Amino acid sequence: MQLLKVIARLMDYPTEHLQAARDALTAVVLEDRHLATRNKDVLLSCIEALCEGDLLDLQESYVSLFDRGRSLSLLLFEHVHGESRDRGQAMVDLMEEYARAGLELDAKELPDYLPLFLEYLSTQPADKVQHWLEDVHHILGLLAERLHQRESIYQGLFEALLALAGRAPDRHQLAEIVAAEAPDDTPEALDKVWEEEMVRFVDDQGSSCSGGDVVGQRRRELEQVQTIHLSDKLVPGADAAPASGIARGA
Amino acid sequence: MSHLIDKLNYFRKKREPFANGHGETHQASRDWENGYRQRWQHDKVVRSTHGVNCTGSCSWKIYVKNGLVTWETQQTDYPRTRPDLPNHEPRGCPRGASYSWYMYSANRLKYPLMRKSLIKLWRAAKQQHKDPVDAWASIVDDPRKTEQYKTRRGMGGFVRSNWDEVNELIGAANVYTAKQHGPDRIIGFSPIPAMSMVSYAAGSRYLSLIGGVCMSFYDWYCDLPPASPMTWGEQTDVPESADWYNSGYIIAWGSNVPQTRTPDAHFFTEVRYKGTKTVAITPDFAEVSKLSDEWLNPKQGTDAALGMAMGHVILREFHLEKPSAYFTDYVRRYTDMPYLVMLEPREDGRYVPGRFLRASDLVDNLGQDNNPEWKTIALDETSDQLTAPNGSIGYRWGDKGKWNLQQQAEGQDVNLRLTLLDKHDEAVDVAFPYFGGIQHDHFPHVEYKDTLTHKMPARKVTLANGEEARLVTVYDLMMANYGINRGLGEDDGATSYDEVRPYTPAWQEQITGVSRDKVIRIAREFADNADKTKGRSMVIVGAGMNHWYHMDMNYRGLINMLIMCGCIGQSGGGWAHYVGQEKLRPQTGWQPLAFGLDWQRPPRHMNSTSFFYNHSSQWRYEKLDVTEILSPLADPRKYQGSLIDFNVRSERMGWLPSAPQLNRNPLTIAAEAKKAGLGVVEYVTQSLKDGSLAFAAEDPDAPENHPRNLFIWRSNLLGSSGKGHEYMLKYLLGTTNGLQGKDLGQEGGVMPQEVKWHDQAPTGKLDLLVTLDFRMSTTCLYSDIVLPTATWYEKDDLNTSDMHPFIHPLTAATDPAWEARSDWEIYKGIAKSFSKAAVGHLGVETDVVTLPLLHDAPAELGQPFDVKDWKKGECELIPGKTAPSIIPVERDYPNTYARFTSLGPLLEKLGNGGKGISWDTKEEVNFLRQLNYQHEEGVNAGQPKIETAIDAAEVILSLAPETNGHVAVKAWAALGQITGLDHTHLAINKEEEKIRFRDVVAQPRKIISSPTWSGLEDEHVSYNAGYTNVHELIPWRTLTGRQQFYQDHQWMRDFGEALLVYRPPIDTKATQPMMGKKTNGNPEKALNWITPHQKWGIHSTYSDNLLMLTLSRGGPIVWLSEDDARDIGVEDNDWIELFNTNGSIAARAVVSQRVMPGMVMMYHAQERIVNVPGSEITGTRGGIHNSVTRACPKPTHMIGGYAQQSYGFNYYGTVGSNRDEFVIVRKMKRVDWLDGEGNDYAQEAVK
Repeated sequence: MQLLKVIARLMDYPTEHLQAARDALTAVVLEDRHLATRNKDVLLSCIEALCEGDLLDLQESYVSLFDRGRSLSLLLFEHVHGESRDRGQAMVDLMEEYARAGLELDAKELPDYLPLFLEYLSTQPADKVQHWLEDVHHILGLLAERLHQRESIYQGLFEALLALAGRAPDRHQLAEIVAAEAPDDTPEALDKVWEEEMVRFVDDQGSSCSGGDVVGQRRRELEQVQTIHLSDKLVPGADAAPASGIARGA
Repeated sequence: MSHLIDKLNYFRKKREPFANGHGETHQASRDWENGYRQRWQHDKVVRSTHGVNCTGSCSWKIYVKNGLVTWETQQTDYPRTRPDLPNHEPRGCPRGASYSWYMYSANRLKYPLMRKSLIKLWRAAKQQHKDPVDAWASIVDDPRKTEQYKTRRGMGGFVRSNWDEVNELIGAANVYTAKQHGPDRIIGFSPIPAMSMVSYAAGSRYLSLIGGVCMSFYDWYCDLPPASPMTWGEQTDVPESADWYNSGYIIAWGSNVPQTRTPDAHFFTEVRYKGTKTVAITPDFAEVSKLSDEWLNPKQGTDAALGMAMGHVILREFHLEKPSAYFTDYVRRYTDMPYLVMLEPREDGRYVPGRFLRASDLVDNLGQDNNPEWKTIALDETSDQLTAPNGSIGYRWGDKGKWNLQQQAEGQDVNLRLTLLDKHDEAVDVAFPYFGGIQHDHFPHVEYKDTLTHKMPARKVTLANGEEARLVTVYDLMMANYGINRGLGEDDGATSYDEVRPYTPAWQEQITGVSRDKVIRIAREFADNADKTKGRSMVIVGAGMNHWYHMDMNYRGLINMLIMCGCIGQSGGGWAHYVGQEKLRPQTGWQPLAFGLDWQRPPRHMNSTSFFYNHSSQWRYEKLDVTEILSPLADPRKYQGSLIDFNVRSERMGWLPSAPQLNRNPLTIAAEAKKAGLGVVEYVTQSLKDGSLAFAAEDPDAPENHPRNLFIWRSNLLGSSGKGHEYMLKYLLGTTNGLQGKDLGQEGGVMPQEVKWHDQAPTGKLDLLVTLDFRMSTTCLYSDIVLPTATWYEKDDLNTSDMHPFIHPLTAATDPAWEARSDWEIYKGIAKSFSKAAVGHLGVETDVVTLPLLHDAPAELGQPFDVKDWKKGECELIPGKTAPSIIPVERDYPNTYARFTSLGPLLEKLGNGGKGISWDTKEEVNFLRQLNYQHEEGVNAGQPKIETAIDAAEVILSLAPETNGHVAVKAWAALGQITGLDHTHLAINKEEEKIRFRDVVAQPRKIISSPTWSGLEDEHVSYNAGYTNVHELIPWRTLTGRQQFYQDHQWMRDFGEALLVYRPPIDTKATQPMMGKKTNGNPEKALNWITPHQKWGIHSTYSDNLLMLTLSRGGPIVWLSEDDARDIGVEDNDWIELFNTNGSIAARAVVSQRVMPGMVMMYHAQERIVNVPGSEITGTRGGIHNSVTRACPKPTHMIGGYAQQSYGFNYYGTVGSNRDEFVIVRKMKRVDWLDGEGNDYAQEAVK
């Protein structure tokens, strides 16, 4: 799906090459048969903005959006694993996925870098693309909403991806959630995410098999994927979907 | 038939065995194992460590899978120690264990970044000027252009650049700066080479080759205890942590061992199982207090009073009343106690202690022809004759074979007399300064006279000039100074511990708050243990004590106790100050690489405290009047002016270094000299005298004297270690800052005499600030160009520590991620672009370098008696004697890269060495030709290659005695020439041992004993400082050659610190002008500002890591006591603001019983990048812990050219103390995040 490549290019650091390729990018969008006109229009305006704007201004805004801090990181696992040790293994698994598709990394980038991931998907059949995008749609949705609140043109790219994933996020609900998101760097927020349950040596339920004992509790903690910015609550319609693959990091 | 029924549920078919019943085929699905296997699967394990400013130096296993680092675990293959000594491992701590996070963090620097405003200017300039040097000139010569990017520093706005572009710009900027202003206007700051010595050397080698300046760090960090050079002539040398296990009594004095020395703390615990007693002395209930048997809590900053009272007890009980035979013998042999001091008569009939008697004072120089001014004198007990015993510094230079600690003089055995009591000609009144009566708003005092009089036994001797002198011994001076009445008559000294007179246990009780009984008991136990075990009492001291303005008093307090008890140089004894230097073990192998000594000498070094005090205009705000710190016995007319004046005098007398050095481009001076028909030295001497040439420090605000380019690497200078942070932002960077105070011009005060005052001080002195880091630190935020470096798992390097004798590698587990490069590769790239840009602008040039009078060199014999300033016409200007040496150095600018990547010819020509000894090293250079290969053509043809970081590591390892047994033997032999004793037995059994880079990668290797250090790396004793002084009779590198209680330099005497005294903290006057002036309605209180090391980071590193943020409270926190919190209506977790004239900090309050009233604690170096709201005082974002500090140098640290008090890089010089500071604390009203995201809120007002 060439369109994904276009999105990948647009999501990468803006360069003069990107700006020179405006016509080619536009052509792919126009030829595409997967996307609704509304999304196409947004994409086209992204292309215009990124190809016609002052390059240095675009680069400055890109660096301040994506090269700093975690909330808008384009590394998918940043949002899933944070600094958990599982992250290393998750990246290794993803590289294996690429290898199975006959692709080798040829850039100084991590395997979970979103534009890179999109490029990989662009080589894959449509059903697989949709499957994968659906798998990460909650990350995409959240990034889209955060970009929306910052009034960034990049928001359009993520909405296009969500459309391809067949997910129309409930904007209203997402907006509410993001607005309600405490700034993720306050001590309270940090504490909350990392808070461990109090260890109970005597189970107050009285049942010993429920995993309520110390060992069971410890195990539950270990099994928990420590997502930093996501909880199931944030993903509309995904409450009961223990999505495999990327979001869980295997 | 269904499958369910077909298969056996409970049985399986028996399998046929094979191989005579020895084999059996077993088939079962083992897929389930994959889950486990995968979890710990990896492609390789690589050994590395964490090159952070931490003494840990722990070996770690880094697991790599598909080229990605997946996790790390502790290495467990340290060589075993010997029987009855616990092993070192496992070493590590939670901070290190979270490091792999940094590599792939969202905060990792991925690309070279440049501020947009600068990149725009640069690209436009490049369009107009083909030559990059011209392009850079077109920007920096236009103030309208420079303002565009300087004022944006710290305000974001970075764009990605690429290596070609940044290298070209940096190279061009350096060429232009060297050509236009001088190479000494290019400055580099990087600390603690031991943590990654090749990375340090990369930048310092580049700077040294082009004539740039490497800045010191140990003194600037205030981790250098000047008490150590004063007492021992040694920067800092300490026991390895394993030696704690040999101790019988340990005092942890201000050192929070479990928290800040985590991987070593086990020895501290283990030794208790042997019955060793541990005592913690800390003002707060720190972790170490819980770990120890006993806790004393003196009021912060009053430790010297405690030390004096303990010393009082020890001297009285173990030296006078029931003398310990061991102690008496020890102090006679190894200290200056028997040496004679001349008394100076005063008009009131009293005397004051003057300088040491020298051979040159006596008739016929007492038979000494060589350096008689530098040979100290004692009385031989047997003959009752004056004698000049071996080992004083006069024997070190120009003589051979007599610089040792044998009890001999002129080949005759001597037995030196300690006390003159009963052998004196008369008892005289000797006056001592007393500072304990000084009133301070926040510290208790004990009213007494401002000078104390003690009756002392003195001898009368006729000098060579015919005058009659009165002499006393240091032993008797010590007794008097510690306030012990010897019964010779009327005396201010005490006769009992309960008298409230300086410096009795009862007296200290009023200052420190510690009960006298405890003090007496602990002192007695400490000495008693040392007496019984021959010196196995130890003090582990934390640098917090060293961060007070009068740090020398705190440190000398405990050092004196150790020396009195014969603990220095004995296993299980001595002082253990493990701070901020991390012992660069293969130092002499590293120096040629790091400072380009293989191509040209000398390099330019600068002491950072003086530099930043001067060039970030902190001196313009000086409020400490010299009269406040002068001894009441000194003549104040001799000490006029502001503190900066003392530093300027020191620089021009050759005591301290200068940078920038002269007020003219040093590349132009040789040509001027030629034109004038004079030699360079002659010309500079003459021009300095007639005033046509001056030191840059005398007019730091003139544009020709500004530092212009600054490199920062391996450091967070602006986020962690920059005392006077806001001053730096304003004056060096020219950007938004929170400075509140008024300068001397506006406020009035003692104006400087030696420095030209400009009413309008220039801001934004730096044209270019380049920082190398792997994470977006505070310093990066303020830089013009940020270069992404390899992390500690992505580069090859070496790491050593003072805590253990092993040398560790950092190895590249993977290639640097994204566009990152190792420091070595980065500076190589800059050297290349510099060389290219230099063509047409700079060729082979003669640079004129000024060099201070260095320690461990003949120049340390500067002015032997009273201080004379050539500028005031008090003496001749003699370079290398009364002024800095003036040395022309030839630089080949277009060949900088060729020189950078090869080992130059000077090592073979001049040899290698350190600490006053040198040896031939042709063999090692030749070996490197074979190991690293050699260059085939160009200016470096035939020279060994240094292309890669591993090549560089091999240079270090091959040249250093610590890692090359052959060199060690040569080094000991070279020392033997000077001492006249044979020391080669210390290394001969390891002569063939050679440690290479791959060896340390394979397993930690213990290094080889070398004369660079004062302890032994031995199979039988643990490393301990001073061991070879005591056991090999190698003198300490001091005036007397012994451990010195008495400091006789004129400035030491006049500033009241010839002997140990208690001095209360200084008044920094930083809170009074602000108190109640910018009120927000909440109550305010001034509290003492204490910044100890933290638990959740190593300085600023790791502290922005989410794991560590979670373990702490996440973001800046300040601890305060329950009492103070109640006073100002603060509850736990409230946002509070802390401010004074220097700036402001916003943080959360931790209200805790741990903290004593009167102080607040903020852990050192919490970044301003995480969770910092705006300040209500400044209106900008709250600052870091250094935002409320300002450097305030001490004149006694500026002394130079005087034996142990001579300059050495990171060895002696001004230090950046900051504990005397007070801040106003109050609850914040409005918490404003300054981000417009609507999270701001108001805190309830204090009721």
